[in-house]
This record gives sequence, C-alpha cells and structure tokens, in this order.
Amino acid sequence: MGYEFKDYPFAAKHYEAELPALADGVETKRHAVTIVGGGPVGLALALGLANHGVASVVIEADDRVCFGSRAICISRRSLEIIERLGALQGFQEKGLPWTGGRSYYRDTEVLHFVMPHDENQKLPPMVNIEQYYIEQFLLDAAEQRSDLIDIRWQTQATRIDAREDGATLRLSTPKGDYTLHTDWLVGCDGGRSRVREDLGLQLRGTSYEGRYVIVDIELKSDRPTERLAWFDPPSNPGSTILVHKQPDDIWRIDYQVRDDEDSEEAVKPENVIPRVKSHLEMMGETGDWSPVWITIYKAHALSLEKYRHGRVLFAGDAAHLVPIFGVRGANSGIDDADNLAWKLAFVVKGLASDRLLDSYSHERVFAAHENLSYGTKSTEFMAPPSFAFELMRQAALGLAVKHAGLRSLINPRQTSSITYVDSPLNSPAERSAEFQTGPRSGSILLECPVTIVEDGEVREAYLTDLVAPRFTAFYFTETGTVPAQWKDLGVGLSRGSVPFKLIPLTQRLASDLPGVTAWDHTGRLFDLYGAQPGSLYLVRPDGHVLGRWHTAEPAEVAAALEQALRS
Amino acid sequence: MIESELDSVYTQLCKTMTNIGETQSSLFLARFALLAVAEIGDAATVQRLIADASEAMDSAQKMDTTSPTVLPV
Repeated sequence: MGYEFKDYPFAAKHYEAELPALADGVETKRHAVTIVGGGPVGLALALGLANHGVASVVIEADDRVCFGSRAICISRRSLEIIERLGALQGFQEKGLPWTGGRSYYRDTEVLHFVMPHDENQKLPPMVNIEQYYIEQFLLDAAEQRSDLIDIRWQTQATRIDAREDGATLRLSTPKGDYTLHTDWLVGCDGGRSRVREDLGLQLRGTSYEGRYVIVDIELKSDRPTERLAWFDPPSNPGSTILVHKQPDDIWRIDYQVRDDEDSEEAVKPENVIPRVKSHLEMMGETGDWSPVWITIYKAHALSLEKYRHGRVLFAGDAAHLVPIFGVRGANSGIDDADNLAWKLAFVVKGLASDRLLDSYSHERVFAAHENLSYGTKSTEFMAPPSFAFELMRQAALGLAVKHAGLRSLINPRQTSSITYVDSPLNSPAERSAEFQTGPRSGSILLECPVTIVEDGEVREAYLTDLVAPRFTAFYFTETGTVPAQWKDLGVGLSRGSVPFKLIPLTQRLASDLPGVTAWDHTGRLFDLYGAQPGSLYLVRPDGHVLGRWHTAEPAEVAAALEQALRS
Repeated sequence: MIESELDSVYTQLCKTMTNIGETQSSLFLARFALLAVAEIGDAATVQRLIADASEAMDSAQKMDTTSPTVLPV
C-alpha cells in the first residue's frame, strides 16, 4: 500500500500578529501578569486569573493552536478545573469518555483495569481528545474574556530579563519588535522553555533511553474507548504497543522502538506502516485506514527544583517533564495553572503576601515528584531500562494470567489528583485528624450529588459546582440554620476584601432560606465527609481542602485563612 | 502486602539485578529462591510455587509457536 497521509479533520483558525501602543519601541502599558506560551497551561492560567478579575497578556509564538494530537487524555480532575474555567462544554461534546483498559501479553489478556468511578461522580475518570481541541476550547473561552485576556499571536520572546520588581521581555513579531515590562512573568512555554533558559535554570532528573514511535491514523471502528496495551504481541514480537481511540475516527498507536534502530529510520513511513498494518490485522480491524501523523518520543523524568524565582514563575512542561505513560503531562500542567491562578491573583490584588506564591512552588514541586515517581514506575515497565527490568517484566506478565496478586504490577497507574500532604497552607493537622473519613487538609473534594437551593430556586447539581474563585466554607447542618457568629466571619473577611462564602450543607431541604444552601438529597454526603451537624470544611479556590473542624470557633477558621494568606 | 509495597520490592529486585549484572543475575535469583524457600518453610507450598513458575514458562514457549490469533474486542 502507498503512504497516502490524510490531514486531521480540524481546520485551525490563523491569527495575525498585532503591535500594542509603543513609545520608542517599548509598550506604553506595563502589565501585571505576562504569560509566555499559549498552550493548554498558559491559556488555563489566563482563564483562571480572569475568573479572579486579573488581566494578563499571553505571548504565543505560533499563529494557531497546536498541530498534532499530542496530549490526548484529560483526567476528571482536569475536567473539574476546565469547568471552572468555563470551557467544559466542548470537552463533553467532542471528547470520548472512558473508564478502563486491557493489557495483553502475547495473545492473552492479563489485566482488565477500571479507574475509580461511582454513582457520586459528575465527570468521567478520563476523556480522550486531541490537543488541538483542548487548546481550541480553552481559546474559545479566553476570547470570551478578551476584556481580561490579551493574546499576542506570532510573537516570540527573544530575551527575558528578570528584575527585582518584575521582568522585561524583548519580543519579536512579523510586524516589528518591541519591549514589554511586567510585574509578574509566568513561563508556560513548554519543554524547551525560553524563559527557563534565559534565567539560567536547568531541569534535573532522569532521561530514559527507550524510544516510542507515536502514530495517529484515521480508521473507522466501533471498538469502545479504552486503553489497550500489548506486550510482545504476535503482530510485532518483542515490541510493546499502546492503542487509544480519539474523536473524529483518529486512533493513536504508540510502539516501542528496538534499541538497535535509528530514530530517523524508525519514523519513516516505510518502517511504520507495516508494523501498524500487522497490528491492526491482529486486532481484527479490517477497515481502510490512513496515516495522519508520525513522531518519536523519549521518556523524561525531570523537574526544576523551585517553580518560583522572584517575580518569575514556571508551570507545565517548562517546570517539569513527566513520562508520557500515565498521562501526567498536560494534566499536571493544568493543575499547576489552577494552583497558581488564585495565588497570583490574590498577590496582584494585594489580598495576600507574595509568600503565598512560595506555596505554589512547594505544592506543585511536591506534586511533580509524586507524578514523577508514578511516571517512572510506568516507564520502567513500558520501556525497561535494563535487562533486569525486562526479565522481571517477562516473569510478571507470564504469571499475571493465573496469579491475580501480581496484576497490579501491569496496571498503567493513570494520573490521579495529588494531596498536598505537607502544604504550608494546611490548617492544624490535629483538627483534621479528628475526622474518621473524608478529604483531609490538602486533598481535593470528594464528589457527591447535591440539590442546590438558591433564593428558593432548586436544581440538581454536584458539590464541586459550589467551588468558585473564593474561599468556600461548607457548614454541615441539619436544617440550614447557621449560628450568627458564622455570618460575622464572612463579613469580617469581606471587610478585608477576601472573597469568601459560607454555604450550609443540609440534611433536610431548606427551600425557604435566603442565599445558597445545598441539600444532601442522597443521604451520602455527610458519611462521605465524616461530618456531623456543626462540622465545617474550608475549601480553597482551587477546590483543595484548607482545613476541617468538627467543632470550630469562627476565630479559629479566620485564623487559618489569615495564616494561609499572610504567613 | 499492599500494591505500592509490591511495586517497590519489584523495583528493588530489578535495580539489584541491574547492579549485579546480567551474567550473575541467574545466581542471584537462585539465591533469592532458596531464601524464599527457607522463609516459606512448607514443602507443599514450595512445590506448588515451583509448578506454577515452570508452568507459565511452558505455556509461554508454546505460545511462541502458535500463529497470531484475532483478539476479542
């Protein structure tokens, strides 16, 4: 067969470079926040800042969203964040939800795994969607916020100078070059970050030798969406192959390249097509197909030591490179953006000390190390770095069919949300420890259906729908009646302009109370949170628990908040 | 043993063998097997594990000679 490549069924819009108002080659306006890189992380950050009313400039070298499917798996946690950014709809309409996968050794199924999913969930554990859609849907949302998000297309940062009070960027566009001054700079400019390079910073960790060819093909197939992995399949003996379904009849096929193969040779269609053909035949996929995109990938497990350097911050691949296996790349970047957005917004608005940004670095460096440790385990299994890993893998795969106790070794360890165990923002641990169950300080919320009652209007919803660009106190109560001293807490904090809302979570429907309450109509919420009437969870704008109390004094909760923002 | 502990001892085995080198790894595994035998301390259990371990290898060799089959969806 020939090598007729097809295009992705996606037409990206092209954007012109624009020059701002300049005086002597310098932009007349000085910006509060400038983001270098308009990929998923940069756009998510700009949208997060906009939710807090903070304006930003996004510097993007290209004239369009990315080419190629690239990151294709978006986790439930990322979808939660994307919903708060106002961009979920496209992901729900276009994305393919999935809950599990299968691994085969030679021609035998050795693992069928299912990701955590139950009746309490609003969102699927994972959706598959091409990165150009991820960026497009975030971009669509950003264009709705053009009052606060200024995207500079075809603009390349050619020099970055960090200063004590901000940074100066030299920018180059087809229409001319200029200089931009900013109070805060965030490098979201990917694995080859220019910002990182100009600050003289280096990623540290391990790079793996094992290489994978990544192929997208167009193929019509009714096969369900799940993660499929083959070890030593009859179609390609000795190789490891991953298959993922994507929207628009695009399929992702990844396979490991033999150690003795040359990388340039490995991506040539004449070497790729026969392997893909052989594997599709083995899968029983007999329909016509065409290659769309071929690239090669090498696993890295690297991170900066700190993500804050004075007035310059790093997020996403610019801060850390995690292996592809376990889909932690884009997902951890979106979590970085969500963590940073509210903290940077609070600092810019004068609501918090700039040390709050050190907690961004603390929490997300910790998350990167967690992600790297899982990603490393997956990589060592998918691309064994020595004869020993190879030998042990062969043993594990061969035994796993009959010995269920060994199957977890094959599990791909997909991304999951990270609990900031030792975050400086967590309220005193001894109060959190009084709970038998429920999310501890530093953890994200557990999802649960609730009935939201807003000024008498009733709607079925979920607990995470109540997370907003503010601190939210969930007060567990039987009837919805909140003691007066709690109402004063909100007033006290508001006087300092800290966005805050106390929401009663009720055991009985309270339709006659003013404001917002949420009714635990399934009767599962209190147990899930280990809560009793009087318990209180204080939740950050990014949905992580700051602290929880069974019997709290308002002063104690206010102090926890104050400590987080001012320490 | 929980899953993360299994992960961690698996990786420790891999790394230990990587350090020892390929030629000495069979000997390492034989020593490890004997220590495990002594620790298990029950002949019937050990005999069952020997059978299980060799059975998987038999079937693996058989699979090498079978022709590719279509997998279930």
